[in-house]
This record gives sequence, structure tokens and C-alpha cells, in this order.
Amino acid sequence: MRDLAEKWSVPPDWRNATIEVPGLKIGAVAGLHQRLVSGDLAAWAEASGFDGPAVGAFGLAEGMRYSVRLARDLLLAVSTTPFGMATGWFSEGFAVTEISAGLQVFEVEGPALDAFIARGTTLDPAGPPSASATLSFAGIGAIVYRRQRSLRIHVDRGLAAYLWTWMETVAANIATGSRN
Amino acid sequence: MQLFPCPFCGPRDETEFHYGGDAGNARPDGAEVPIESWTNYLYLRSNPKGTAREIWVHMSCGEFFVMERDTVTHKVLSSTALGGEHAA
Ligand SMILES: [Zn+2]
Repeated sequence: MRDLAEKWSVPPDWRNATIEVPGLKIGAVAGLHQRLVSGDLAAWAEASGFDGPAVGAFGLAEGMRYSVRLARDLLLAVSTTPFGMATGWFSEGFAVTEISAGLQVFEVEGPALDAFIARGTTLDPAGPPSASATLSFAGIGAIVYRRQRSLRIHVDRGLAAYLWTWMETVAANIATGSRN
Repeated sequence: MQLFPCPFCGPRDETEFHYGGDAGNARPDGAEVPIESWTNYLYLRSNPKGTAREIWVHMSCGEFFVMERDTVTHKVLSSTALGGEHAA
């Protein structure tokens, strides 16, 4: 039988994968705890203590734990420490699903960040605030917001290797002054 | 590339949206539906020149909504969340 696996490049070891060119530094963020919350988000905020506003596209996420809005009735809770809370359905009216292993997180920083964003989306990152952080980036569905001075991108783990090769190409183009 | 306004998210790339047909094209209900009603529901489209009312879904967030847009100029006139109600 043909080995189709050889058609795909081997994904990098995310623990030490970095892309570094003048003006841009890209790396993977490991060890984040991530959970999807759907349903009554106000009830979730009260029960969990995740009480800050859920950030939208290009919004600024702050603190050790924060939430990112994905839809009218859906958010992603992110924490550097374990949640200390069960998953499943809660009678208050929301459901919590573990998704830490399902989403790969990347962080992009540097003075060429705007040039990087311009290649990923037609949206203006300095435009009016958007309620949700889900958008098409580099042609795939992604969760995009700011963290300190970086841009944070969450994508389905199966698409992480693709996004990485896209980012390598874009970083090289930016470094050589190409408009692509 | 055109930006469409999702009632929840705001402007997004047109590739994030999926067309859901004419607004107000409700499925006939009941046992005695005349064949003309089924024909109208299944096959006849209004295809207006000018202002059109259409159902769209923003696939990134799952929002279904009514978008009014001009089929000649491509200008978007309004976008309204459906909120679970069928568009009239
Ligand atoms: Zn939306």
C-alpha cells in the first residue's frame, strides 16, 4: 500500500519551534488550559469567577485567566493554572468541555506584526471592536486576539502544521521586503 | 473581497458566510398543501434586481440572520439577527 504520510511534512516539535526574522518572532504557547463554555454565559461567569469581559477579535486579553468570545452563546476559557472545576452540564444553564489538546496556540510579536496580520485577514485590526474573536485567518478558522504586545492565534490542532508553514512563508516574505 | 456584517461579530470576510436562500420562503405545512405551494417553495426564486432579502449564516460563529443587500450594487443595506424566529 502506498504510504501517503510522506506527502505531508513532519510537524515541528512545538516545545521549541520558533520562527525568527527581522521584525517578527513566532512561537507556540504550551501548557494553557482551555475549555469551551456554551449556554448561559452570565451564569458561567458567576459560577466560575471568570468575570472579566470576554475579548473579541484583536481584543486585549489580560490576567492569568481570561475568556475569549466565540459566538453569542459560546466562549473559550483560557487559564495558565488548572480550572479546579468539573466539566459537563451545569444546572445553572451552561456546559463546559475540555479542549486543551484540541487547539494549538501560537504567539506572534514584533514591529512587523501589522504586516503579518494584513497577510492573514482583510479585517482592519484597528477597526471598531468586534464581539467575537473567531475569524478566517490565513484561510482557516481561527481565534485571534491580543495578549500583552503579541497576537495570539488558536487553531484546530490538525491545522497547526499548515498554519506553521504559512507563517514561515509569510515571515520570509516580510523579511525580504516582498509584498506577498 | 467584500466584507459582510454579522449581527453579532460585525464585519467579516465574505468567505466566512454561507447563503441560505430567500428570506420568507417558509416550508409549506399541513396535509392538504396544493402542489403549487410545494413548487413555489422548492423551485421558484424571486431573483430581484435591486434590494433582496436573504437568509445568511456566519459560519465562524453560527449566527443565522437576514441580510438585505442590493443585487446590482452589492451594497449591504441591513443585517438582522433571526433570534430563533423564522424570517417573515
Ligand atoms: Zn458572527
